[in-house]
Amino acid sequence: MSETLVRKEIGKNAYLSSIKETKFKSDRITVCLVTSLKRESVTVNALVPFVLRKGCKSCPDFTELNKKLAKMYGAILDADVSKQADLQIIELSLQFIDDRFAIGGDKMTEQAAKLLCDLIFDPNLDENGLFPEKDLELERSYLIDTINSDLNDKRVYAIKKTSGMIFEGEPFGICRYGYVEDAEKITGEQLSAAWRELVKTARIEIMFTGPGEPETAEKVFAKRLAESEREPASFERAPIVPYSEYKEAEEKMDIVQGKLVMAFRMGAPETEREKNAARVFSALYGGTPFSKLFMNVREKLSLCYYVLSHFERATGVMLVDSGIEFESRDAAQAEILNQLEAVKSGDFTDVELAQTKLIIKNSLGSVGDSLGAVESWYMTGILDGLIVTPEEDAAAIDEITREEIIAIANKAKLTTVFFLKGGEKE
Amino acid sequence: MNTTVEKIENERLGSCYYKVKHSSGLTMLLAPMEGFTTSYAMFGTAYGSVDTFIKTDEKGEFKKLPEGIAHYLEHKLFESEECSAFDRYAKTGANANAFTSFDRTSYLFTCSQNFKESLEILLDFVTHPYFTAETVAKEQGIIGQEIRMYDDSPDWRVLFNLLGAIYHKNPVKIDIAGTKESIAQITADLLYDCYNTFYNLHNMVLAVAGNFEIDDVLKVADSVLKPAEPFFLERGDCGEPEEVVTNFVEQHLPVSVPMFTVGFKGKTGTEAENYKGSVLDEIFLEALFDDYTDLYRGLYDEGAINATFGSEVFCGRNYITLLVSGESREPEKVYEKVKAGFAEALEHGIPEDVFECAQKSVYGRYLRATERVEGVTTTLFNGYFPGVDMYEMIEAAATATPETVLERIRNTYCAENSALSVIRP
Repeated sequence: MSETLVRKEIGKNAYLSSIKETKFKSDRITVCLVTSLKRESVTVNALVPFVLRKGCKSCPDFTELNKKLAKMYGAILDADVSKQADLQIIELSLQFIDDRFAIGGDKMTEQAAKLLCDLIFDPNLDENGLFPEKDLELERSYLIDTINSDLNDKRVYAIKKTSGMIFEGEPFGICRYGYVEDAEKITGEQLSAAWRELVKTARIEIMFTGPGEPETAEKVFAKRLAESEREPASFERAPIVPYSEYKEAEEKMDIVQGKLVMAFRMGAPETEREKNAARVFSALYGGTPFSKLFMNVREKLSLCYYVLSHFERATGVMLVDSGIEFESRDAAQAEILNQLEAVKSGDFTDVELAQTKLIIKNSLGSVGDSLGAVESWYMTGILDGLIVTPEEDAAAIDEITREEIIAIANKAKLTTVFFLKGGEKE
Repeated sequence: MNTTVEKIENERLGSCYYKVKHSSGLTMLLAPMEGFTTSYAMFGTAYGSVDTFIKTDEKGEFKKLPEGIAHYLEHKLFESEECSAFDRYAKTGANANAFTSFDRTSYLFTCSQNFKESLEILLDFVTHPYFTAETVAKEQGIIGQEIRMYDDSPDWRVLFNLLGAIYHKNPVKIDIAGTKESIAQITADLLYDCYNTFYNLHNMVLAVAGNFEIDDVLKVADSVLKPAEPFFLERGDCGEPEEVVTNFVEQHLPVSVPMFTVGFKGKTGTEAENYKGSVLDEIFLEALFDDYTDLYRGLYDEGAINATFGSEVFCGRNYITLLVSGESREPEKVYEKVKAGFAEALEHGIPEDVFECAQKSVYGRYLRATERVEGVTTTLFNGYFPGVDMYEMIEAAATATPETVLERIRNTYCAENSALSVIRP
């Protein structure tokens, strides 16, 4: 990527980071309100972006708001919640075509930044400072549906169940959208209090990517932040646990394919170098179409269509998951563990290692070609407290040695196994 | 035949691409994009799951092929006598994949380095089939699990149940991967027959966008591709009637909220008419059902739909259907309102303000596709077989009027010729 990240503090614990890339035809602004992921506040916070998406003082009607976006050549306004390690992130983003392509010379960047500011800082509250009752009802009910919708994708469902088991009692295990029993009880007062708390105390991270002028957006946001009352809270980050007690569970559902998820603790890799070794190890083990798992579980034994491993930097855990016949469970699990033993004992060639690095570097080389990927790359780094370019990351991946792969593989310890199988739900 | 190169430009976007007719018979659509580091290449054939009834020489008879064979062939093409294409790509670092749709099979890679070497692998493995009884048998288990995965997917089931409700005979209603039983009939000989029929360079296209040199593509094509045999293929007419089979179909699967898809069955035109017409259809669907419409607002405020509600055009070589889908606890009520809104728009037209919203949104979406290498490659690839140029689609969106949209919709669809598919817990 040719352009570099420019990062400025534009208010109390509020930052605007930008990447100017003239090759794109649209710009993208994302505002993140970053807070601690806590069991007691996660659900009400998760409702905030969905009510903010309904309108603001300057445009209180939902239909009018959507018309306005459509006329901005189908500008995309997304409101959602995500999590990274023990952080909950409430985000609103707006993607719109650049001024150069707007018919009639519209000032798109300024319009977009103002709209985002209005939606976040000037929502459509009534005289009692509450969100419209109707919005609360509808969006609360949609939040509940969203929480329950994990069930629709059995693979997602099985992984979520596994996460719940691995991280029981840790903030990492808290679901990003929260919990149905809490959502049902949210009142208007609680919702507006949660919004006030977020805009006052959350860390604010704004990202601008695209060919437009980030300075235009910066002025709009800086002005609004200066007018608002900010008392940012500091928050402690939760430590990563090296190992935990082994757990195993099975669940029955009316399905035809079994879903096997196996989670490995990696001894809480601390240094960047060790985390990178874990990434390369996981890719070599099950992250590519020539990995140990793909070549053996799928190609040699024909047990599955997909089998993948993925190392999560934020939690230090590696997950392996596959879709298999119910009766293949033992065979699949045994082979997944066999292949881990193979890597542990150094049963891989230098060519396999070099090719694994090459495919990782290849995808890092593509980060700069999509607005969404650029944003997500830097936002993850910013929240992780380590900003590197994809090029620097590729160089770090290259340095990982065979010995480091074997060392980190030997730290992998099976900690949780979950199997979703057919039959009447118990 | 000599290789020819033609430059195709668009003033509105200030961009261009090149159409190459290669001496081998293959057409190549090449769009170098300044400032990008990735290149994206897609090589494929006009062959998909619907091609199950064909005639390969003028005097011959029509023959029936097992369901799912195009997809099976896609899996097996990755193997050669020495090693798999994935092993070869491992040396270049490219990210490779392939997929089979209703009327296409595409093989693709993306890379930010070693473009020429990866392109050579792509063109080489797709033009060199190698199947044996053993390698074909091995795939049964793998594809069997792929089929099972889709059987458990409510999103997939709600669509195929709808297609079954809409189409009597059109093979578009058949699952792309086939069934466990149908794929059991597939042999190495049958795969060779299908390969030799459909993987003729005259029936294929290569699209590339992003960071690459035109000359490199020409050099690789010159060294790998051999002149293709003359191509003959006749696809059997499935004799699909205009009417739907039934207005309602339902299945029970584990889901949190009932899912639904409504389909309005269209009168199919030629492939080009379907493809070009789909831009106007998209504008119509947005103007009726997008989040700035009264219909959306009414249903949303009643709690009958949520933010998953949306619409799309489902079209291909000989089928076109408008889809409206989402989650709802009252799918029958949503269906009635959607149908009523449809009929009302056909009778009274679309408000000017709403039309402007829909047109600008659709235009913006096509425009945004041109800022991604993946978007450009896919648009070039998909437009080739119908014979519709990438810029024609953008121009069609930019120049649509309420009159042209309504005329097209009135001639192609009617509110009653539709069906509702529901998945309930």
